[in-house]
Amino acid sequence: MTVALAGRAPTTFEIKSANLPLVALLLKSADLGALAAELSTRFADIPDFFDNDPMVIDLSPLGEAQLDFAPLLSLLRGYKVMPVAARGGNEQQMQAALAAGLAPAQDAAPTPTLPRKGKEQARSPAPSPRPEPVEGLATALIIDKPLRSGQQIYARGRDLVVLSMVNAGAEVIADGSIHVYAPLRGKAIAGARGNTEARIISLCLEPELISIAGVYRTSEIPLPANVLAKPTQVRLMGGAEGKLVMDPLQ
Amino acid sequence: MTRIVVITSGKGGVGKTTTSASFASGLAMAGHKTAVIDFDVGLRNLDLIMGCERRVVYDLINVIHGEANLHQALIKDKQCDNLFVLAASQTRDKDALSKEGVEKVLKDLGEMGFEYIVCDSPAGIETGALMAMHFADEALVVTNPEVSSVRDSDRILGMLASKTRRAIEGKEPVKEHLLITRYNPTRVGQGQMLSLEDIQDILRIKLIGVIPESETVLQASNQGTPAVHMKGSDVSEAYKDVIDRFLGQDKPMRFVDPQKSGFLKRLFGAK
Repeated sequence: MTVALAGRAPTTFEIKSANLPLVALLLKSADLGALAAELSTRFADIPDFFDNDPMVIDLSPLGEAQLDFAPLLSLLRGYKVMPVAARGGNEQQMQAALAAGLAPAQDAAPTPTLPRKGKEQARSPAPSPRPEPVEGLATALIIDKPLRSGQQIYARGRDLVVLSMVNAGAEVIADGSIHVYAPLRGKAIAGARGNTEARIISLCLEPELISIAGVYRTSEIPLPANVLAKPTQVRLMGGAEGKLVMDPLQ
Repeated sequence: MTRIVVITSGKGGVGKTTTSASFASGLAMAGHKTAVIDFDVGLRNLDLIMGCERRVVYDLINVIHGEANLHQALIKDKQCDNLFVLAASQTRDKDALSKEGVEKVLKDLGEMGFEYIVCDSPAGIETGALMAMHFADEALVVTNPEVSSVRDSDRILGMLASKTRRAIEGKEPVKEHLLITRYNPTRVGQGQMLSLEDIQDILRIKLIGVIPESETVLQASNQGTPAVHMKGSDVSEAYKDVIDRFLGQDKPMRFVDPQKSGFLKRLFGAK
């Protein structure tokens, strides 16, 4: 068959198969007001969290509720996401999605955030795909200048290494782990997109706040004396609803 | 070659204007032709501290808007022949400052043979402060030994490293100096103030001097005399040390240890 077509192969185009990594939004409510409020709480401070990422809207947690797609899409676009497809809805919902310009994509199953013990994921902290596998190696973002009050660094889809101090009032954010080879006195937010395996490592841990995959701790209650201002590693134990564990580095 | 030095802090009331006046006077006394510019448009103070408020006819904004030339607006200091003051406008606000206008004033001053231009920054991190620091070659970051002042200085250091012309054009960064004012070693010893070590641990830039807390500063401002001219006072000595260090001399820090009160003082409980 290929041979038969070969003579007439078009010169202006070629059709090939391609894959696209997507961000998935598991929609749990048709109440767009509440959704807008919660999105704002989580992302208003980090306007560039999404970088025109394509998104699939997963309607399966929604049940039979009717959804108004036009305002939903404009709400999401306001956060710089590009809704391109919908999945998991009933026939009516999928028709409405198609009418709103979303491709039906029943095969696009979201990546599980982490291997869970039996139970279906009940409360995911965020639409949290793994950082997209980048061609070659996604190396860490390395900062060798001091980060002072008011400065913010975001290592998108990778680790962050800071070789100088992070002062109170500064923020370091990474989708992967955060290493600070100096005093860490500001806020450190690792696993910003829900990677529960992310860690925070500092040679002098005196942070205002540490957070891994949305699980956070402020310094209102001082850190234990065995880690405060000492070389320390912070991990998340027990997944997205677990707790932060701080161990002194040897 | 003209060097532009900004005196900045973020926080208000820490001694920027006092320092600008004394620092500029000290440079002039050391024989360098110096201009000091008040960037605090709308809240001008430098002319009061320099004691030239009655001679202000034209100001920085008039020059920027082309309503007066620099020769008309520069006020010659009473005490130093080499020193000229460019006052801020009291009736305008910071939006009257434009980057192009400020650049032209600084360039013209350079062409007039000024070796140092000292820019007295307003408090805050808005237009006025950004304009004062934008063209700087060096910065004196004035900090009091208390946490809020240190944090604001930290913020300003971040801006010096990102918002100035040198940073934007990727040139050699602005040279930063830490000046600690209102330092009281006795109160540091009692734990009421941050120590030099605490401050340097957070800010990590080179210390150029420590100005002790003193009533002389208040007297000097009320008289309209820069504190560096208050002969025999420790504040004056401390500012002279700062200028010597700025000009490249290596001097040990003074006024950083508590004064030993004498036997009689202790006996009679004198202050």
